[in-house]
Amino acid sequence: MESPVTRLPTRRRTKSYGRSCFEASSRFAYTSGQLTILRIPTTREAPRARNIAERVDPEQVTLLIKNEWKLSYVTPLYRFRHTHLKKYSKHLSAFIAAEKQQGTAVEVGLETGYRVTFSTVLGIAETDEDAETVFIQIQSKPMFAATGDALKVVWSGWLTCVNGSPEYLHSLLPDFVSLPLFCSSGPENITVVVKSWFEKMFDCRFGSLGLDSTSLQWLCALWTGCHPDNNIRYLRLLWTLPTQPPLDVSYTVNPQDAWELWNSVRQEDSVDGTVGIDEVKHFMAGLESHFFRHFKIYLSSGTLRKVSTALGSAQQDGKVKILCSDYLATVLTLLTECAILKMPI
Amino acid sequence: MSKTMSKSHNVSEAESCIHGAANRSSRRSERRRADVEDPFGRALEYFSQVKAGTPVKGNDALENNLVLVERVALGRGLPPGAVATLLDFALSLRLGKKLLCSRVLKFLIPASAVPQDSVVRGVSWFCMGKMPVSAQILFLRWILTMFDLIDSKDQHYIYINDFCSLLLIITQWIFSLSPYVCHLLYLLTTKEHGKQPPLTQLLALYKVLCPEMIAISMPSKTRGGFKNHNLPWKTALAAVLKKNKTAEAPSPPLSLDIKEKASTRKRKLHHLEVPQLSCGPEIESSRGKAVHLQQLRSFAQLLQNLDNIELPAQMGSLLSSSLALHYLDCVHDESALLRLNFWLGSVLHEEFLFCSRDGNPENSTEPSQFLDMLISTQDFLQECFSSSEFFLFKFLAMWDGSLHQPQILSLLSDIPPLPVSRMKMFLFEPLQQLYFTSSVFFKCGVIECLRSMLWKWLTWHFVQTSHKELDVSLSSSRTMNLHMSEFLELVTELVQYVGRLASAGLQLENYHILLHHQTLNFYELVCDVYLKFNLPLFLLPPSGVIFPSLLATDPVTVDRLGYVIFRYRQNLMSAKEHKQQKKEPSFHISRDVFREFNLLMVAVVSCLWISKDCQVDVGTDVHKALVPLRTMLSYCKNYNLIHHPAFLNYAIEFHQKCWPEQTNVDLSSIQGKKYWYWYLEFLFSQGFDGLKDFIQNNMDHQSTPVGGH
Repeated sequence: MESPVTRLPTRRRTKSYGRSCFEASSRFAYTSGQLTILRIPTTREAPRARNIAERVDPEQVTLLIKNEWKLSYVTPLYRFRHTHLKKYSKHLSAFIAAEKQQGTAVEVGLETGYRVTFSTVLGIAETDEDAETVFIQIQSKPMFAATGDALKVVWSGWLTCVNGSPEYLHSLLPDFVSLPLFCSSGPENITVVVKSWFEKMFDCRFGSLGLDSTSLQWLCALWTGCHPDNNIRYLRLLWTLPTQPPLDVSYTVNPQDAWELWNSVRQEDSVDGTVGIDEVKHFMAGLESHFFRHFKIYLSSGTLRKVSTALGSAQQDGKVKILCSDYLATVLTLLTECAILKMPI
Repeated sequence: MSKTMSKSHNVSEAESCIHGAANRSSRRSERRRADVEDPFGRALEYFSQVKAGTPVKGNDALENNLVLVERVALGRGLPPGAVATLLDFALSLRLGKKLLCSRVLKFLIPASAVPQDSVVRGVSWFCMGKMPVSAQILFLRWILTMFDLIDSKDQHYIYINDFCSLLLIITQWIFSLSPYVCHLLYLLTTKEHGKQPPLTQLLALYKVLCPEMIAISMPSKTRGGFKNHNLPWKTALAAVLKKNKTAEAPSPPLSLDIKEKASTRKRKLHHLEVPQLSCGPEIESSRGKAVHLQQLRSFAQLLQNLDNIELPAQMGSLLSSSLALHYLDCVHDESALLRLNFWLGSVLHEEFLFCSRDGNPENSTEPSQFLDMLISTQDFLQECFSSSEFFLFKFLAMWDGSLHQPQILSLLSDIPPLPVSRMKMFLFEPLQQLYFTSSVFFKCGVIECLRSMLWKWLTWHFVQTSHKELDVSLSSSRTMNLHMSEFLELVTELVQYVGRLASAGLQLENYHILLHHQTLNFYELVCDVYLKFNLPLFLLPPSGVIFPSLLATDPVTVDRLGYVIFRYRQNLMSAKEHKQQKKEPSFHISRDVFREFNLLMVAVVSCLWISKDCQVDVGTDVHKALVPLRTMLSYCKNYNLIHHPAFLNYAIEFHQKCWPEQTNVDLSSIQGKKYWYWYLEFLFSQGFDGLKDFIQNNMDHQSTPVGGH
């Protein structure tokens, strides 16, 4: 006979900090796929010009497209609520004031106070899974300002998610909001304070987001493809070659020539609105071989650092400028994807 | 108004005196019991009891006690209770006015903290206005120096209230005079005086607190308005604190020992900083009874409040203290664990994978300290964080095998059992590439890492299965059998993998002795899997491991091989018995296992036992498999225990002991029946226990080496 003690339904610890193949439904099962499901896509939707002003408040759009943004990725925000933005505004301005008081952070001129405004930019999100974009603006109140003076914007930033990987977003617990892409513009010390506020409030972490040459090549091809609808005016590429000392090569292509090259590498069967990575690689190879014919330099031996057209520009170190709002979704989809690829789990 | 204020002040003071007296008497009785032998305790008692008006001059007791307390204070600092007693003694001016007060104040160095109620009492003495000015100044300077150490015995939030009362007393005192003082200042102050730094500093503070009152602009850099006076206690205090800190260091108490920030080098990105424990943002309304983790000081408190503890705002902060880790072990909130994993994963990725280090790669102490912290945390929790597992799998693909080698190998051994295919892809293959291209020491590290990993899996499995027997209801939902087969497959795969690594590695490294021992270490675990972990799995070492060990020139290697074979035999015998008794259909041991083991036995026995003029006598069923064995034996006929190179010098020593007069050593004379046994006894007496177990359990039928005589 068993003693009564042993028959007690002793609920032993079955939780784990990770997961094991023995658990019927593993708690972190969704993350187990991370190493395999999150692949860099080989095809993308061809950019379509869309008048974003129909969906998004044009005033807010101008906020997004006029600056050069420094990109970061953010791990999912814990208990972030779009309904609490007012409270967040107050809290963050108090936080900045406190940091300033400590003398550790902000020291921009003679400002005495900061006004922080959080707002939702409706209409940027493309799917139901995408969380709505959040825009943050920090204005300063100059010390000797008269009451009627306009406040000066010293910093702005936004968190967004456009066409985020549905597998990834589905796998998150409901307490989390994933806005993986963080763009900031303004003094670095304010960025640091804002990031640390987010980290303390929503238990997330920021990391810098660079763009590898494949991402830059994608942007290069996608922007070139827009030329018939929207004049790109120029296609400028910047390479750095590993010579001693390093050699910077700036390569500007006539927009019409670039488009014709792009059109020639487009495959017949893929005109159904998608672009394949092969086409992008062919396009770049075409540009590089043209350069080689003239200068006898293999650009492929260097690293692509910057791509710019009249529609926007992007740099390897994660600085992006979007100059034309029509292709906002295309660019943001690509950047969101880069950010999600950086997620630790 | 000032009258009523001072009245109420007097009342509160009287109360505090009564309270203090009660305290004192209870303290006294306690002390009498505990500190009869303790001169320091008696000295304190003296100071708390000494009556007003006791003569000072020629009072030896007073002098002796003062000297004693002073020595202790300057040596290791005063405990909080002593600070309270002495402060009370000094400020009450019981024994004369000036000298004693400043003398005591000058050596009042606290060891850890100043009780806040003692400061409040001190301030009330101060406000009575009987102290001479020099003593007043000294006391205020003392408070300024000790300001950071003023602490309350209770929780943090009470502290704030009590501290307010302290401020209140001071302000009461100031404001009872302030109309006159201000008036006087108003009359005397000229423009030049207004620029005095302390006044500016105070004005700056007022400007922050009530900006509408002060409209003037301040210079933005008002720092240094208050001079950092060269206070007499500073150096002594620093010395005492430092001394106490180093004394405590070897045995970290079970407390909230939040690790200090690495402030020596300011890292630009703070990747490796564990956040500080802090409560959630005020925006979220917390539950009424919630307790914050940073308020807890001991394990007992943690247990009492276990159900009311509020999770910290940043889950990563739980890694900062041992007490918090105990709590982490009880956290069942999935979101919380996910937060922790996001944090940890991001730290690891940023530091080691994305390598956004601040251009200083050679400074690797901080990263390795972080990894050490992670290792000890996982050891404590006995589990691997999934974020660290993913990190490792990614890191392994780009690891050079040397960066933080001990830490990475240690972390790898924490990886939980995963499906075989994943394990092969993410661990075995990249590790194998590193193994074959690295030094022998790395090879040893890898084998040890895999041994430790297997040991953790087996322990874990053992706990799971024994737990299952206890509680059927829990595991009935899970189809354990299916998973069991997966687990067996995985363990088999791991053991075979190590077998391949070890046999190839031994050959590559020219049978390096360290690698030999690591390999045998591994098989010492594998051979006992049935008896120790109740897992019916019998996996023999490959011949690439057995024969090099058998023919090793190092006797300890041969001895360990003997032990391993002995344990295999014990396991197999016990499994066989178990099978015959229970007749369980599920419990099946393949015949091949027994056959393979018998072959191994034959080979080893033939080698160590059979002398050169003997023929191997084996059964016909294993004859075919023995063909390579025969050829091998033709080469190592002389590898019995006498001629074996590992034991040759033992044989010679034995020979010299038996026949000390013979100069011509003829080892074959040991093979005589009597001498053979003596020789074995001699070997066993040299500590070859593995060999002893092996021989005594296998050779009971054969009294002497076959064909010996």
